[in-house]
Amino acid sequence: MKHIQDIGKDKDLLLGLAKSDGKSLEIIYSENFPVVLRMILQHNGSEDDAKDVFQEAIIVLYEKVCGGDFTLTSRLKTFLYSVCRHLWLKKLQSNHGLYALPEELEETIPATDIIDEHQAKDEQYKIMEHAMGSLGQPCKTILEDYYLHKKSMQEIAEKFGYTNSENAKTQKYKCLMRLKKIFFDKYNTSL
Amino acid sequence: MKEDLFLISEIERYLEGEMSVQEKAAFDELRRTNPQINRQVEEHQLLLQGLDHMSRRQQLQSQMDAIHGELDMSTLCMEAMEANQAAKRTRIRRRTITNLAAAACIALVTSLSTIAILQNNSRNKSTAQYEDVRRVLNNIQRSQNALINDIKDKNKAPINPGTYGGTGFAVSGNGYIVTNLHVVAGADSIYVQNTKGEAFKAVSVFEDISSDLAVLKIADSTFKSQPLPYALKPQSVTLGEEVFTMGYPRDEIVYGKGYISAKTGFNGDTTAYQVSIPVNPGNSGGPLLDAKGDIVGIITGKQTTADGIAFAVKSAHLKRLLDEMPKDKQPKREWSHKSKLEGLNRVDQIKKVEEFVYLVKVYN
Repeated sequence: MKHIQDIGKDKDLLLGLAKSDGKSLEIIYSENFPVVLRMILQHNGSEDDAKDVFQEAIIVLYEKVCGGDFTLTSRLKTFLYSVCRHLWLKKLQSNHGLYALPEELEETIPATDIIDEHQAKDEQYKIMEHAMGSLGQPCKTILEDYYLHKKSMQEIAEKFGYTNSENAKTQKYKCLMRLKKIFFDKYNTSL
Repeated sequence: MKEDLFLISEIERYLEGEMSVQEKAAFDELRRTNPQINRQVEEHQLLLQGLDHMSRRQQLQSQMDAIHGELDMSTLCMEAMEANQAAKRTRIRRRTITNLAAAACIALVTSLSTIAILQNNSRNKSTAQYEDVRRVLNNIQRSQNALINDIKDKNKAPINPGTYGGTGFAVSGNGYIVTNLHVVAGADSIYVQNTKGEAFKAVSVFEDISSDLAVLKIADSTFKSQPLPYALKPQSVTLGEEVFTMGYPRDEIVYGKGYISAKTGFNGDTTAYQVSIPVNPGNSGGPLLDAKGDIVGIITGKQTTADGIAFAVKSAHLKRLLDEMPKDKQPKREWSHKSKLEGLNRVDQIKKVEEFVYLVKVYN
């Protein structure tokens, strides 16, 4: 009975997460972080490692949930724990060569596929971040304002002192073209 | 440059759905015919997706950072450390226990196998010593069983052919018969038949496994009691004394003659004699008489490894057995009187005795 309740609760939380509901995120975070922290600390990690790994796992989860095709086959706790475990194992292996996490009694699920999928997305994200970073001002802010913060062209024109929104729009397109060039230069070489 | 700008604005309008139907159709057509433009559109889509993804991710990141900032990290760390310590302790304890268990298992297996090997060796040794004896034992058992005449095959058996047959003899005038236990063991019903061909139903009233003797009582109204011509000899007989037996290795009564060849039976059994006499399956339970016509023993079995060696339970033992029987079942004590056969020649003795020797037929 409790198990079913847990699954129901987990589903609600995931729905909340998909809608970027801060409360759901907070619950997921505060309920699952301690376990992961414990696991990381146990295996030669620090607090910051725990934070990074756990947040990455949340991002994985978020991407999955937003992708829409995600159904939780285990408890959320198990999912996050497994993903964190795999992420940390990967990190340890890349840092210290071979290092196997000792098998433990905690329930885990295979998370390799999930993580591989995530890594492709993460790569894209990094390229985008890099492209935005190397774009320079005011392009970066214009694009951020328009595409990330969803501001209207009018507001942007006022903020940057363009005479009208058409001018601002032209400027935005120019920026976008630059971004596109930087992004795809990198993206296509990395593929 | 200007064219590029125009194109990009068009693409944006197209993707954001700001175009009118005609414009959209025209653009779709353009996409189809011009792969370059189609690629531009796809790239643009990808770019916008990337941007969107980045924005959401950054938003999530900032949310998480905010939540993380609110967590009481020092407490959490302390708790985690403590929990890990505890887990480590139990793990160490568990590991110790596992090791101990493994060691104990190995020790157990080693000691058990050592014991098994030692026992096996010693058994091999003792069987090597005992082999003869056991084989003899097996043989005697087999021979004893074999002495039960299987008369199933004999079609001409009178009235009902029994499953097994043996010999018995009267120990009292009123219908008590002694035979071997192995003859009547497991019997459903027992019939006894005398030389005249009269058959009587009998029941086993007393059995003694150790000496392989059974006492039957004729439970038949047609049976008439007769005084016994012979007596049970209470003392042991001397070595070399001439003895004779009568039994039913066939449907006909058969006489056999021999002598006492040893004062103990098989494997030093002091309750029996070794007799050098020809016996065959079916002789089991037959009387062994001395020259005076006294019962000195009961034929029980023979040794198959040697020719002409039979064993007979001593009459003294039979007497003790009869005395031990429950009072209400005890036969009349007729066996102590003096034998009426003394002084008669063998042919007359046989004539007198054969009436009291029965073929025991067992149905099961």
